[in-house]
Amino acid sequence: MEILFFASVVAYFAATMFQSVGAMMGKTKLTRAARGIFTAAFAAQTVFTIWRGIVAGRVPLANQFEFASGFAWSAAIIGIVLYAKLRQEWIMTVSMPVAFLVLSYAAFQPMEIKELMPALRSTWFVLHIGSATFSYASFAIAGGLGAYYLMQLKKGHSEDETRMRQTDYMTYRLISLGFLLLTVVILSGAIWAEQAWSRWWSWDPKETWALITWILYAIYLHQRMRMKWQGKRMAWFAVIAVFCVLFTFAGVNKLLPGLHSYAV
Amino acid sequence: MKKVIGFLRSMKFGMILLVLVIACSVAGSLIVQQGEAMDYVRRYGADAAQLIMALGLDDVFSAPYFIVLMAALCLNLTLCSIVRLSRTIRAAAALRGQAHRASALEPLEEEQAKKLCAFFEKRHYRCEEKDGDRVYTKNMAGFYGSFLTHLSFLLILIIGAAAVMTADVRDQVVMPGETLTLEDGTMITVERFQIEDETGTLDYASVLTAASADGKRQKQQEIRVNEPLSFNGYKIYQQTYGTAGAVRIANLTNGIEEDMLLTESCFLTLDGRNGMFFQALYPGYVQAEDGSVMLVTSTSGAYEDPVYDVLSVSGGVTTPVLAFPDETLTIGDVSFTLLDPVSYPGLRIKHMHTEILGMLYATFVLIVAALYLCFFMVPVAVKVTESGYAVLSPKTQTGLMIELEALLKEEA
Ligand code: HEM
Repeated sequence: MEILFFASVVAYFAATMFQSVGAMMGKTKLTRAARGIFTAAFAAQTVFTIWRGIVAGRVPLANQFEFASGFAWSAAIIGIVLYAKLRQEWIMTVSMPVAFLVLSYAAFQPMEIKELMPALRSTWFVLHIGSATFSYASFAIAGGLGAYYLMQLKKGHSEDETRMRQTDYMTYRLISLGFLLLTVVILSGAIWAEQAWSRWWSWDPKETWALITWILYAIYLHQRMRMKWQGKRMAWFAVIAVFCVLFTFAGVNKLLPGLHSYAV
Repeated sequence: MKKVIGFLRSMKFGMILLVLVIACSVAGSLIVQQGEAMDYVRRYGADAAQLIMALGLDDVFSAPYFIVLMAALCLNLTLCSIVRLSRTIRAAAALRGQAHRASALEPLEEEQAKKLCAFFEKRHYRCEEKDGDRVYTKNMAGFYGSFLTHLSFLLILIIGAAAVMTADVRDQVVMPGETLTLEDGTMITVERFQIEDETGTLDYASVLTAASADGKRQKQQEIRVNEPLSFNGYKIYQQTYGTAGAVRIANLTNGIEEDMLLTESCFLTLDGRNGMFFQALYPGYVQAEDGSVMLVTSTSGAYEDPVYDVLSVSGGVTTPVLAFPDETLTIGDVSFTLLDPVSYPGLRIKHMHTEILGMLYATFVLIVAALYLCFFMVPVAVKVTESGYAVLSPKTQTGLMIELEALLKEEA
């Protein structure tokens, strides 16, 4: 079954390549093929994830490999759903590389299926980690859209005003979704920590960085609302904030171990 | 004064405070917290250590400036919310009227106007007709999203602090078979504790029985790291665990026997001179090829091959002995039979006010609902006449505008 996982990594890569070339050269055949490959890869990853869950006898989100795989899966499904709704090429141009890069990162993590340690056996676990994968995926695609926006500006494609407005708006919507989900992550984590360790909040590095990320995006939302910041500035913000998300997701586990160190 | 209050309730000040919270959090996560002074010197060098200690960066989250920062954030949010609430209520009440009065309309063909009306009706917008013009509204509750978000965030900070400060917490080691009586007479008995389950999998679990003072209410439950026992407003966690040695002491002259637990080093003697000195209990040992024995000093699991490290003290002669369970040392008129070690849980007993807990959970639900209102229920009012339309909303309606533009273009 692992072959399905590696097949999806390769297929996400192929889809990314087809999509980039297709979008750059305006070849719809290529982008259509990219979407087909991407959807097939997503299906393969879904089957692999379900299989892993059945073998492990739990939700497969318990270590860094599974979490990263869930993150990539969430990015893929967000991309697919948004594309189905809006029918805009740029959504796929951004979601495909995000799903591919995150899944490639997963491929470098230890893959063996491990018994769930007692601290992780909780119903809050699914809500906590499940919303984290979707939250990070929303932020990552938002960051990708920010980068796409800046590239379009640089290339001088800003005359397609509707597309630019839509990209900018979608960045904001994804950040809103990610922010809502990150709130759920933090609150369910607090409830869970109280159950497991009798403390709501311990200023453990992972908790602290989740809070930093949350505040950073709260600042984004405020700047956008009140200062009416839009376009280029917000795109830069979305891109830079993704590094904070990535640090919370992976950097903290490697560099600042704490209570969440089992997630390595 | 007006200026000062204006600044204190401004979003600018709020954002400055949030940036400062980020700065403190980054420092608190990168610098080891609550360490010893020497530890900082070793890690960061003498000068940096001095600076860290002077700035309170060794315990950022309890430092006075951090508390002041959080208090300032609460103040800022409160002032800002109070001022904005009346504005929000007025804005919510006025939106429909403003839409009716709107005169700057985007031009529409009659057919397009019909299409637009059909679009809003399909989306379940509320329609209000006046003088032949229609005003469609949706998501008016969304007006209160940001107010409720701020309110719930504020309440989380305040109630959370109250929950932590009013909780009564105590840590206690309780041996299997022992009963602990709490302040209000509630009794907690540790029936059993196991480090591994029957299959040998690590499973740190205790079976507890809790009983009310009058004995009328009883509850038995297996607790482990994630599953505390809740009873009578108490929550009992299995916080840690340990393993103690055990010995049966028999007085050979009168036949009296007594079992004792060995949790720390001690000298067991009847006459004050001869006896057994218990030094330590080791989880196991490894025998090297040359026959020498290496003691295992720690384990996270059960003690596989426990070894007692004791001294036999007899007639002024002290002899070190490594003994296994079931071995008996006879020293003078006393025999010491070492028994299988006993594992025990370290319990954390927490008493919380259920009302505070209930309120805290309610604010958790409230903030999620409020954010949903903010982001997914954006208030909007659209005036549609036969010849034009106008979209009014407190927020930019990019998504809707693009949809409408597409719809009208399609029609053209
Ligand atoms: C970490 C704390 C905070 C969080 C999580 C938060 C959250 C939010 C959210 C989600 C919105 C709505 C944004 C949108 O719809 O896009 C908002 C709006 C707003 N926030 Fe905050 N906020 C926080 C702190 C503050 C502070 C300290 C102030 C300072 C006064 C403030 C003032 C405002 C204002 C004025 C609005 C616009 C409301 C409106 O126009 O209806 N917020 N906030």
